[in-house]
Amino acid sequence: MRTMIALLLLLFIGIILLEVPALIKKKMWRELVAFSVYLLAGMALSIPQVLGVKLPNPTKVIEVVFKPISELLK
Amino acid sequence: MLEKGKINSLQAILLMISMILPTAVLSVPAITVKSARQDAWLSIIVATVVGLLIAWLVVTLSLRFPGKTLFEYVEEILGKIPGKIVSFFYIWWFLHMNALVIREYGVFLATAIMPDTPISVFHIVVVVVAAYAVRNGLEVLSRANQLLIPTTVLLATVFILSTGNMKLSRMLPVIDTGLLPIIKGAAAPASWLGEIVTFAMIIPYLNRPREAHRVAALSVLLVSFFLTASILEALLIFGPNLTGAWIFPVFNAVRLISVDNSLGRLEIIIVLAWVLGGFFKVGVFYYAAVLGSAQWLELKDYRPLVLPVGIILVALSILIHEGIVDLFDFLARVWPPYALIVFEAGIPLVLLLVALVRGKGGRKNA
Repeated sequence: MRTMIALLLLLFIGIILLEVPALIKKKMWRELVAFSVYLLAGMALSIPQVLGVKLPNPTKVIEVVFKPISELLK
Repeated sequence: MLEKGKINSLQAILLMISMILPTAVLSVPAITVKSARQDAWLSIIVATVVGLLIAWLVVTLSLRFPGKTLFEYVEEILGKIPGKIVSFFYIWWFLHMNALVIREYGVFLATAIMPDTPISVFHIVVVVVAAYAVRNGLEVLSRANQLLIPTTVLLATVFILSTGNMKLSRMLPVIDTGLLPIIKGAAAPASWLGEIVTFAMIIPYLNRPREAHRVAALSVLLVSFFLTASILEALLIFGPNLTGAWIFPVFNAVRLISVDNSLGRLEIIIVLAWVLGGFFKVGVFYYAAVLGSAQWLELKDYRPLVLPVGIILVALSILIHEGIVDLFDFLARVWPPYALIVFEAGIPLVLLLVALVRGKGGRKNA
């Protein structure tokens, strides 16, 4: 598990090193903010899963919303 | 303009086929045969009509706003804030659909071919390759697809080789189970054919947008043809009971081929078509999610978002389902209404009506 976490963090550092310097150089601040938010979302979804923490599953919400119709398809 | 590439009509048709067909061939036959039984081919006809209507709807809507993708004209039609909200849901849908496709891809490879490999390996590999293609833009994606699509023709050859195992009597009796099961069976293939909605992200980059109607209709018809062929492939060999019981009936049907006891194990051709096609399917939805996000946030370049979205896709594809039973149950019962009613038919129809009422787009503004 430690190696998995290390690999994951290494991946994130790699992605940051690949994208961020060019964005700062070109002064693309809006793009930098969007990149950071998407990367944080990716971190929030991937790190807990590697640690074995159970995340809320978005599929369950969809299943509840569409339950009346999906019952018909049974 | 975020995307400078242009593709021609042929490339667009081939890309749309690769976008719908791969998971359709593997997941739909079992789902449809389970409810429509030996009349599954009639379900596909119903689904094709629905698919053609959705294709007409989306192209008509898109052609009112030349040079704009779905995410750009949503704001023009509904106004800024409602437009942003609808766009957010579409980005979620593209990500969710893609996570499902990646999961199906991984599940198939892990259960059918390489049971000892962790499923996340397949997810990571396909997303990394797709990320590279998406970063290079639409033109690269569609040219690579044009180069590799002949594998789909190999699929047809395999089906012809297995005619020896088929019995036409397995299609009888026709309409034995009544109309309702046929319509229920049509829900899943219709939701797959309705993925043609994604074409709204590509229409502005056609070099001849006037041919868009023909491109969309031809793509839907060609996909339904291959889908019918693959359903018949399984149905005529196994009959409705076995076909409905298996998860990948087409794969099992091809496994049985043996020509003169010397040419066998042709299922690897299906795997080849699936691995290549699955990669393009993931690529198109990945591209739609990334380009859509960039247009949603009004960025100047979509490329910085490619890698973060890739991480989200891999993480989501593992998170959304516990296992293969859960996944196929979702695809059979929840996915069709969720995709079809909301994203494929509902929102585009509302957008077209609002655009007509408010007089947005159309010839006078062009």
